Amino acid sequence: MERRVVITGASAITPIGHGKDQIVTSLLNGVSGIKTLREDELISRYIHSRVYGTVDYPIEYDFKRNHRKTMGPVAYYACQVAKEVLEQSGQTEEFITSGRLGVAFGSIHGSPTTQRNIYHVFFEAKEKSAYQGIGAVDYLKSMVHTTAVNITKMFGITGRVISSGTACTTSSQSIGYGYESVKFGMQDAMLCGGADEYDTITVAVFDNLLACSTAFNDTPHKTPRPFDKDRDGLVVGEGAGAVMLEEYEFAKKRGANILGEVIGFACNNNGGDLILPNLKGITNTLKLGVENANFNPQDVGLVSAHATATKMGDIIEAQAISDVFGDNPHVIGLKSYTGHTMAACGAIETIMTLYMMQEGFIAPTLNLEEVDERCAMIKHVQKTLQQPVETAAIQNFAFGGVNTILLIKKFS
Amino acid sequence: MTRQEIEREVKNVFQREFEIENPDMDADLRETYEFDSIDAIELLLAIETFLGTEITQEEKKQAISIRTINQICDYVEKIAKKRNLFSPA
Repeated sequence: MERRVVITGASAITPIGHGKDQIVTSLLNGVSGIKTLREDELISRYIHSRVYGTVDYPIEYDFKRNHRKTMGPVAYYACQVAKEVLEQSGQTEEFITSGRLGVAFGSIHGSPTTQRNIYHVFFEAKEKSAYQGIGAVDYLKSMVHTTAVNITKMFGITGRVISSGTACTTSSQSIGYGYESVKFGMQDAMLCGGADEYDTITVAVFDNLLACSTAFNDTPHKTPRPFDKDRDGLVVGEGAGAVMLEEYEFAKKRGANILGEVIGFACNNNGGDLILPNLKGITNTLKLGVENANFNPQDVGLVSAHATATKMGDIIEAQAISDVFGDNPHVIGLKSYTGHTMAACGAIETIMTLYMMQEGFIAPTLNLEEVDERCAMIKHVQKTLQQPVETAAIQNFAFGGVNTILLIKKFS
Repeated sequence: MTRQEIEREVKNVFQREFEIENPDMDADLRETYEFDSIDAIELLLAIETFLGTEITQEEKKQAISIRTINQICDYVEKIAKKRNLFSPA
């Protein structure tokens, strides 16, 4: 049994805004969400990269204490976008609690803020009483599936739970596995996404790998610079994104507002190095994706590239895009606006792509002033294009050699 | 510590940790205030702090059957008495 899967809700908290109106406005106006790294009185002073994709606006939460007690900052983000998507999709409480709705949601490693508190107790503990500093709920806040199960708890969702924790492909896998769950009839709908909170440890990891941007510390909005000849690495960011995926006939029958359609997904592994980008692996991912969508690669109109703005990553991705899609599709790197929002990036970039599809424009890759000649074989977008987008591919690659591609289509 | 002081401390814990003000002392905590097992563990830690004494694992297990705030106060009183921390008035 293969069923059509449509999107009936989408929301995101990003460094360039919360919700569709703010995000679209930022994309149309070339607004960067990259700000100066905040001091954490721990390791931030040693980090060379002084930039971060920051959510620096207030978010009004109205979660009850009973829910808040098991939530770290990452779960606040996750539950907020989940709440917005549930409201937007118009699903009834009867359906939400029926077991026919599941959740696919993840983060790269739960709540690092909570983990940091645990480590603090661990290293400072001199007396037995110190162990009381580890709260009964600290595990529930910091475990890798904290986002998914705080969502199920808050809304009484009783269907399956999938909680990928595959670094930068976490939420693209959430959407992909959610898509497969609905497509093959295991669930009638899936609430899918990912989130990550502000975390300097993640910056330190990439900084130590010499993968972070450091040349634009005084002008944060000038970095990251995907595909640009002056790019010098990625910028870590925070945020969350969620979509409601739903079986088409069910959505149609209940009169849901259909925003778009997921038509394909693929995931594979490079089968080797856990860090270095791999042309063969990525090329295979893209091929598998268009095969899965039963789609002619030449007909893909827009590619949202993973494009972290690392030296080698962008070159290899450009080659893979060229090899599979040719030079027909427009290619953009949305991390140029938000930074690399880690577990959230697949969902956020899917949602941004969906918004552009709905509004009929393509946002340019920010800071792409002079294309690196080694990335020049594809059709880059350097200024806003007012034109319809019918089909798009969203590509994401992760540490561990995990690659994903999602294919979405304008709903008609 | 008197019974009155125990009640005041327990109410403080409920206000501070669980955002429950002026609680009904005989209401079922689970049904009325959505109090759950996680809250119970946090409560035991808070009791240890205000009593200034450690509650043993065995004593903690005895708290499982508690349903109301009055029963919590009875439980604290019993522990305080065992450790000579209780004064009748």
